Amino acid sequence: MLKIRDLNVHYGGIHALRGVDIDVEEGQIVSIIGSNGAGKSTLLNAISAVVKTSGGTIEFKGKPIPKSVNKIVGLGISQVPEGRLVFANLSVKDNLLMGAYLRRDKALIKRDLENVYRLFPRLYERIDQMAGTLSGGEQQMLAMGRGLMSDPDIILLDEPSLGLAPLLVKTIFEIIEDIKKMNKTILLVEQNAFKALSIADVGYVLEQGKIIKKGDAKELIADPVIQEAYLGKRKS
Amino acid sequence: MTTFLQQLINGISIGSVYALMAVGYSLVYSIMNFSNFAHGGVIMIGAYLGFFALAIWQLPFPIAFFIAAVGSGILAIVLERIAYNPLRKRNAPFLYFIISAMGASIFLENIVIATIGPNFKTYPQVFQKTPYEIGALAIGRLDVVMFIISAVSLLILLIIIEKTKVGMAIKATAYNFKASSLMGVNTDYIIFIVFGLGGALAGIAGILFGMKYTVYPQIGVITIKAFIAAVFGGLGSLSGAVIGAISLGIIETMTAGYISSQLRDLIAFALLIFILVVRPMGIMGKMNEDKA
Repeated sequence: MLKIRDLNVHYGGIHALRGVDIDVEEGQIVSIIGSNGAGKSTLLNAISAVVKTSGGTIEFKGKPIPKSVNKIVGLGISQVPEGRLVFANLSVKDNLLMGAYLRRDKALIKRDLENVYRLFPRLYERIDQMAGTLSGGEQQMLAMGRGLMSDPDIILLDEPSLGLAPLLVKTIFEIIEDIKKMNKTILLVEQNAFKALSIADVGYVLEQGKIIKKGDAKELIADPVIQEAYLGKRKS
Repeated sequence: MTTFLQQLINGISIGSVYALMAVGYSLVYSIMNFSNFAHGGVIMIGAYLGFFALAIWQLPFPIAFFIAAVGSGILAIVLERIAYNPLRKRNAPFLYFIISAMGASIFLENIVIATIGPNFKTYPQVFQKTPYEIGALAIGRLDVVMFIISAVSLLILLIIIEKTKVGMAIKATAYNFKASSLMGVNTDYIIFIVFGLGGALAGIAGILFGMKYTVYPQIGVITIKAFIAAVFGGLGSLSGAVIGAISLGIIETMTAGYISSQLRDLIAFALLIFILVVRPMGIMGKMNEDKA
């Protein structure tokens, strides 16, 4: 579904992504793990055309992606950005409706709005509240709900667990699995490597802009090198 | 009591025109996060467009009004394309935008001096001078017209912002460009709309001011009042701009009525400094939303 080949991104003088190859198949959860500054967000921003690429190709359903950010979501690629970026000055409902900005099919928008409320009952309770008044966890739910409102084929999640309490992190990962059951493909980037790999089908390890390892997520969890570097386990 | 009511009505009338300027200015600020000092130039061109339409081409008022509003809206859009868009594409620092805006303002002023001349121009009389008399109060017809036109214009803007999809996209973009464009919003189009709306309001303010006073190349300096009003209300907040503008109008006419008209501007500017010191976020503004 999503095919990335030899992707390079330069930020000023920094070579943020160095020849990255990634494949995401329909219906999968693909997790990209890596430490802070490894280039995870840059990768998602390159797919969303937020940052310019300096080499390589990104193909979605066999076609190269367009160069303007606002044309990406219409193809069926939705990004839930790092730091949530919910519209603090809009109500919860208006935030969700912004997610459906390009859609004209009123009946289906209504259906998806109800689906989002079912997935996140907490949002339904706060429907008229300004998004800026929500807690961090609620804002993450809103950002994910908003991301679903474009009825995407693939949803790109950028550090959804960042800054959340452990219990909320658990909830968020359960919701990601629920989203998969809604026939969505998911590309997840996370610092929380264990959680990210345990729900994933395929995992990639990104380090200093390069993919240093890829494979079946279960195998990556069992890999001693990964365990030591990312899962906080010592060699025994 | 009569003097008070009289000055109150005058203050609301003049304040409503300040509100047109302040809201247009605040609207651009909310999206672009910089003070568009060229706003005064657009108001000035609006005033001249109205003057030409009424005095030279002898057109009826509604058509002159339309020309001033649409002409100024187009001018604001063209200015954005020429003076700001190239900076935006290169992610230039905000100071560059402000300098570019000042340059545009000086350019507009001087092009008018060079082509039309530096002289004051007086509008023909459009509305009868005889005031409406209610008891001891005398309310100028033009003041009533100014208030009604301003109120209706602001109401239309309010409906666009609060009740339409493009209005929601304007608010979303004002909050965060990246998130908004991820939703599929063409932010260039939103900026186009915002400058068009702000420019149209400036043109309306221009023709109303021209009718009330006169037209001259430096009339755009009046925007400093709109700036005070916008800061008073809270930069970027549209309702704040309206409240700030009406308050400023009332403060000015009260000062003129009870103290001295010469102290009018002194008090208005003293007020600006006072507010910046005591409550820099204005009445309705939120400090944490200020990104500039």
